[in-house]
Amino acid sequence: MEASWEASVTDSINTIYLLFSAYLVFVMQLGFAMLCAGSVQAKNAMNIMLTNVVDAVVGSISYYLFGFAFAFGDGSGSNPFIGTSFFALKDIPSSTYDYSYFLYQWAFAIAVAGITSGSIAERTQFSAYLVFSFFLTGFVYPIVAHWVWSSSGWLSPSSSDLLFGSGAIDFAGSGVVHLVGGIAGLWGSLIEGPRAGRFDAFGKPVLMRGHNATLVVLGTFLLWFGWFGFNPGSFDKILVSYPTTSDQGNWTAIGRTAVTTTLAGSTAGLVTLFGRRLLVGHWDALDVCNGLLGGFVAITSGCSVVDPWAAIICGFVSAWVLIGLNIVALKLRFDDPLEATQLHGGCGAWGLIFTGLFAKEEFVIQAYDSGESGVSRPYGLFMGGGWALLGAQVVEVLAIVGWVSATMGPLFYALHKLNILRISVEEELAGLDISSHGGYAYTGHAEESRPRFYADYVRLQDQS
Amino acid sequence: MDFKCSASDLASLANSTAPGSDNALLATFLCGRFDAISDKFADTAHAVDSTYLLFSAYLVFSMQLGFAMLCAGSVRAKNTMNIMLTNVLDAAAGGLSYYLFGFAFAFGSPSNGFVGRHFFGLKKVPSASVDYSFFLYQWAFAIAAAGITSGSIAERTQFVAYLIYSSFLTGFVYPITSHWFWSGDGWASPSRSDGNLLFGSGAIDFAGSGVVHMVGGIAGFWGALIEGPRIGRFDQAGRVVALRGHSASLVVLGSFLLWFGWYGFNPGSFLTILKTYDGASGGFYGQWSAVGRTAVTTTLAGSTAALTTLFSKRLLVGHWNVTDVCNGLLGGFAAITSGCSVVDPWAAIVCGFVSAWVLIGCNKLAELAKFDDPLEAAQLHGGCGAWGLIFTGLFARRRYVDEVYGGSGRRYGWFVGGDGRLLAAQVVEVLAIAGWVTATMGPLFYGLHRLELLRVSGDDEKEGMDLTRHGGLAYVYHDDGGGDRPNIIAPDGRRVEPTDRSPAPNADDRNGTPAV
Repeated sequence: MEASWEASVTDSINTIYLLFSAYLVFVMQLGFAMLCAGSVQAKNAMNIMLTNVVDAVVGSISYYLFGFAFAFGDGSGSNPFIGTSFFALKDIPSSTYDYSYFLYQWAFAIAVAGITSGSIAERTQFSAYLVFSFFLTGFVYPIVAHWVWSSSGWLSPSSSDLLFGSGAIDFAGSGVVHLVGGIAGLWGSLIEGPRAGRFDAFGKPVLMRGHNATLVVLGTFLLWFGWFGFNPGSFDKILVSYPTTSDQGNWTAIGRTAVTTTLAGSTAGLVTLFGRRLLVGHWDALDVCNGLLGGFVAITSGCSVVDPWAAIICGFVSAWVLIGLNIVALKLRFDDPLEATQLHGGCGAWGLIFTGLFAKEEFVIQAYDSGESGVSRPYGLFMGGGWALLGAQVVEVLAIVGWVSATMGPLFYALHKLNILRISVEEELAGLDISSHGGYAYTGHAEESRPRFYADYVRLQDQS
Repeated sequence: MDFKCSASDLASLANSTAPGSDNALLATFLCGRFDAISDKFADTAHAVDSTYLLFSAYLVFSMQLGFAMLCAGSVRAKNTMNIMLTNVLDAAAGGLSYYLFGFAFAFGSPSNGFVGRHFFGLKKVPSASVDYSFFLYQWAFAIAAAGITSGSIAERTQFVAYLIYSSFLTGFVYPITSHWFWSGDGWASPSRSDGNLLFGSGAIDFAGSGVVHMVGGIAGFWGALIEGPRIGRFDQAGRVVALRGHSASLVVLGSFLLWFGWYGFNPGSFLTILKTYDGASGGFYGQWSAVGRTAVTTTLAGSTAALTTLFSKRLLVGHWNVTDVCNGLLGGFAAITSGCSVVDPWAAIVCGFVSAWVLIGCNKLAELAKFDDPLEAAQLHGGCGAWGLIFTGLFARRRYVDEVYGGSGRRYGWFVGGDGRLLAAQVVEVLAIAGWVTATMGPLFYGLHRLELLRVSGDDEKEGMDLTRHGGLAYVYHDDGGGDRPNIIAPDGRRVEPTDRSPAPNADDRNGTPAV
């Protein structure tokens, strides 16, 4: 029987919305590639960019074959820990999931491995990289996604058996995406050790600057742009009206989510600007970019369920979390070339806690019960909603840290023991591009004798 | 809920014992079903329109990146960090100031003709007239205006001055201007709700040739004028010295991103897409058609301006110059922004053609007057923006004006059969914006100048602001080395000597032109 006209319209609109959101999230892959490239030394640019490309392509295969199934499989064998159906998209489209949903989730999955690659940049063997990326995107990440985002997951706010009567609210993945990527990066970076020359004989840090600030800014703006797909797109459907209102629906909450996202990032960027001006004495564009991104990472958890003014608080605190963690990292001689652990791990964890403090009941019901009336949900502690939500958020933080440590920790350690994790010091000094990737990204300067400007060229022509 | 309809639905009514005639019962039943359908349509329209407006807002936001890249490529390498930081902060600081009070000044109706006074901190949003998507869209425009000005004062302005003028522009000067021409209360708005239109017309500035581009350009004009030209820009004899930007690739990247984003800037200014014209449902013509036409006029104006610039500069300077063509392209877009929705595609070609010459002419004037604007922002956004407003007063089609702004008997373009009223309103807009921005930003820049907060010292300027104020250069293509080799300690504690395979550190490379 053909779908009714009315259902067709609804599905078309929702699909357009979700697909274009997926394309935006995909743009973040480019943004992260540019951010990474600009943040490493010129001699390692090819390497880090290749890892970003490979994230996308390897992740596509593993997520299609089994990652999506582990995350969202909801057949008869479904359980709170792992999904068991939809391997290689069998039985998709179903009544709950269509291809557009798979593509959207795929875009998220490939983002996770990118985060970790930042922590272990400039000193990791490419084959080790392939191994961890495949495992993270295909197994470790999907399991966490299942816990929080599948309706059968034990942490999910849509499950029939809510943890603490609440479930953990991680709307677009401060925990599921960012904390996972950050903790994996923590273990990789810790087990590998700092880059050669990063800390001198006395343990003092030596500045190792990225080679191109323009690429860092380009990457940051592309990530900001893409975040408009990452956060608001996580509503999945835009055409859902709220029964207790006359003209509001998901379209309203989606707009609000775009606004909270913007405000959190903006505030974090501004606070970082002034904070670093005080701490280091100059206006630092690269720090502001990282601060901005930390704000986005933090708001990702509660973007849909907090007021715009609360988003400002989120961004304000996340800037200090990042600055603080960076200071701690230096003291502990922890070297993360992209500050990925501090940014994604630290600000991601703060984001989860923030949601437990500031979530508003009306918005929680909009996000998780489609605005149904007569429903009540636990909400933010500071908003009068009790401890249940905050408790669930803390459980999510601990569960993710525990699970990722228990899986990625041993993996990195095994790679290390087999001597296939870190490159040799000689290769590291020469640079990964020349030692493993066929040559430098940049081919050097033009000869001085050739004319560089038109006027010189004309003069030369006239002389001959 | 599916809407099915069959005779058996009525069977239960026939047996009902409720009071009232059969006809009344039937009517109630049918009306109830139609109401439910109508509500569903309203929901659908909201979802469609929100999707359209939000994605347009995201596109306008991507112009921020485009402008950052354009700026970076157009300045010297030693000032790259500085100009990019200003662009990042436009977005961030603008986010906060526009949320707190800028949006309220611009759109806080009901109020008066000069400034709005509701919605501070988005209080009472969402309302029947204002939703979050509208705020986000307007925010994206607001941050664009501040970006324009930063181009005029690039390479020689103290960062503190930048923060001050940017907040003032985005939070106050720009919102007030947008209130006049875009709010239902604005004294010159063509959608003025009390019907008291300026010259019976109101000024048509659909997506902001005046409100955005002229505001940014005139502010930049005063900043650059008061600061004076960059060191070395005009030599002892008064001749112009080209201070070339460090990356043409970035200029092109930025220009294309701006073009891409303009598809949100111009067509998105309709705000909604699901609307029929002439009250005739079921036809193929509606607001969606006008949206498409606007994208077409935008494309044609930019393209024509770019081509015209290409050939004109070939004649004037003897070669094919890509950065000039990019600027010409952007000038065409800035010009069509005012009338993009109310002119025919062929008219957009005229707009682009003229705007190329306006830009070339303004640049020549700037040279003669010893006015230095590193991004040509005042000439491009100010000059082509003003031309765009005049253009609309000449070429706006009656049918389109009626459809876009509603009602009938509206004033339209002087060259296409209308009288001069619309043109007069456009001229008033040009003068009002030039006057208002001069009266606010002029004294601000002058005050900063007198307090010695505006321009950096000559030494800082020669060294480059990245080194002196931003922690270091943007480009580091070779390992830190300078003269001596660094002390490299491997993670296991032993000291390591670099091998022959490392790229040789070159002390001269710090100011070299990078490959990007």
